[in-house]
Amino acid sequence: MALETNPECRRLCNEFDWDTASVGPVDGWSVELRTLVNVMLGSLQPMLIVWGPSQTTLYNDGYAAMCGHRHPAAFGRPFGELWHDIWDQVEPIISAAFAGQGTSMEDIEFVMHRNGYPEETHFAFSYTPVRDPWGTVLGMFCACTEQTATVAERKAERTLRERFEQVFELSPGGIALLGGPDHVFEYANEVYYSMIGTDREIIGKTVADAVSEVVRQGYIDILDGVYRTGEPFVAKNLEIELNRGTAGEKQNRVIDLVYQPMREDDGTVSGILVQALDVTDLRAEQQKQELLSHELGHRLKNQLAMIQAIASQTLRNSPDLASARLRLSDRIGVLSAAHDTILLGGVGASTVNQLVEQIISTHDDPANPRITVSGTRVKVGSRPSLSLSLILHELATNATKFGALSEPDGRVSIRWMVTGPKSDRFELIWSESGGPPVAQPETLGSGMRLINAGLNGTSDSTVEFSYPPDGLVCVIGADLDGFQQEH
Amino acid sequence: MAQLPILVVEDDGLIRMDLADVLGDSGFTVLEAANADQALVILETQTTVSAMLTDIDMPGSMNGIKLANLTASRWPDCKIIVISGRYSPDQGSLPEGARFLSKPISERLLGATLAEMGIEATT
Repeated sequence: MALETNPECRRLCNEFDWDTASVGPVDGWSVELRTLVNVMLGSLQPMLIVWGPSQTTLYNDGYAAMCGHRHPAAFGRPFGELWHDIWDQVEPIISAAFAGQGTSMEDIEFVMHRNGYPEETHFAFSYTPVRDPWGTVLGMFCACTEQTATVAERKAERTLRERFEQVFELSPGGIALLGGPDHVFEYANEVYYSMIGTDREIIGKTVADAVSEVVRQGYIDILDGVYRTGEPFVAKNLEIELNRGTAGEKQNRVIDLVYQPMREDDGTVSGILVQALDVTDLRAEQQKQELLSHELGHRLKNQLAMIQAIASQTLRNSPDLASARLRLSDRIGVLSAAHDTILLGGVGASTVNQLVEQIISTHDDPANPRITVSGTRVKVGSRPSLSLSLILHELATNATKFGALSEPDGRVSIRWMVTGPKSDRFELIWSESGGPPVAQPETLGSGMRLINAGLNGTSDSTVEFSYPPDGLVCVIGADLDGFQQEH
Repeated sequence: MAQLPILVVEDDGLIRMDLADVLGDSGFTVLEAANADQALVILETQTTVSAMLTDIDMPGSMNGIKLANLTASRWPDCKIIVISGRYSPDQGSLPEGARFLSKPISERLLGATLAEMGIEATT
């Protein structure tokens, strides 16, 4: 035996006290009402009957679920009692049905508890007037179709599409969708707009119309090719001219570009996905890096050449290999310390004072200082700072061996200043006193030769020695421009 | 027979000094200039210079490449070697017959290059 449909409402209908109801006892029901009640109680679809001027409500188990806790009280009662809270919406359509006008509703949302928890459901309704053979409206019959699954599916699709759009919007590259053989813009993300010019209106227009400057640059031909052949187009570092300025003026950009054909289910190309990355700044940065590494290579080779000259001079002028080794390691140490000063302060920020302090720290005794220093803060470029450190080191070494610093009472004064009638020269004066009697040496030792090489990077460097009885004096001068210039 | 001098043009005093010493040791007479302007004065006042070794990056009115080209056009007999810590100069920027050596210069390579160019010290 087949399971009985709508057991609950069938029982309700059977047990209802119809005698006192306005539709009257079942025996007196019209053939239309009997037929419809039979159909309703036999159907798995939710169904509703609203009958007679009293609008008596009959429904099956399917519809009962939509009524929630209003069921079973609503059964056999006027329709207005069931939907009293939304009567302003329901009344017009039920009245229309009683006036002979059917209504169909696509998507009505109910929260149902049929599975033990509140659940969003969606139904389609159609209110159909029911007439007697003479055309008088007796009541209204409504069959409902559950749409919950379809609606959920549509919603999921919409959510997915919204997510994709979000992904497109968040993409660091420009994205546009072109439809049809004429490449009509269907979508473009913010980045794409900012690449072609923010204020341009492109949606619904062809590429040739909306971004007309690309036509003569051959991009339409490429798009046509992708559309025709279905082969994607991929290119890097394309130079492109776009009227993207604030006043629509043209600007040159460098872009990485991909045209990807989009296909229908049957494989035919229906559009093109454009991905474009503006790499103008990136490429400029890369070029700068390249330039920088060239520059570093250049500096390194120049410094190797300087070390080579120092090594060669040291070997050339030393009495034996042991002392040459010691001198060379001292000299390289001085250059290394000068480098530290240059790098610590940031290129272009080292001062004469820092370099002088550096030399003093290795040649003077803090407990018994014999070197006095005075000078203003003068900046020094990196090339001259290396030479100046080396010169000061050689002067100090010479003084320790033969000059003022070789005797306890000897003193050294280091003074420097910006000088000259136009204040465009740097001058440093090294003067010794209290040492052994001085005389001009007959041959220049390697130290003196290195000092005489002057200040690197300057265009007019001078080194002058004088030998007054009190002690050696060395004056080092250079043009201030070259002395401070960062090469 | 008096030997014709070699002119060394280099703004770095240490490198110029050492280059002069190296050439001097090989028996060459050496003239020194710290920039192109000084070099031109020497070229104009000296009767003949057999060869010029010049750095590229130097302060003054012109760099070593300009100096090399000017020298080649005015003193075609002067052999030219250009020296730089930069990568080799662009093709065609040096005068015909000029050679390029990279810094730091190998003494051996310098000797070989001078010999190949036919610049020899009289002993």
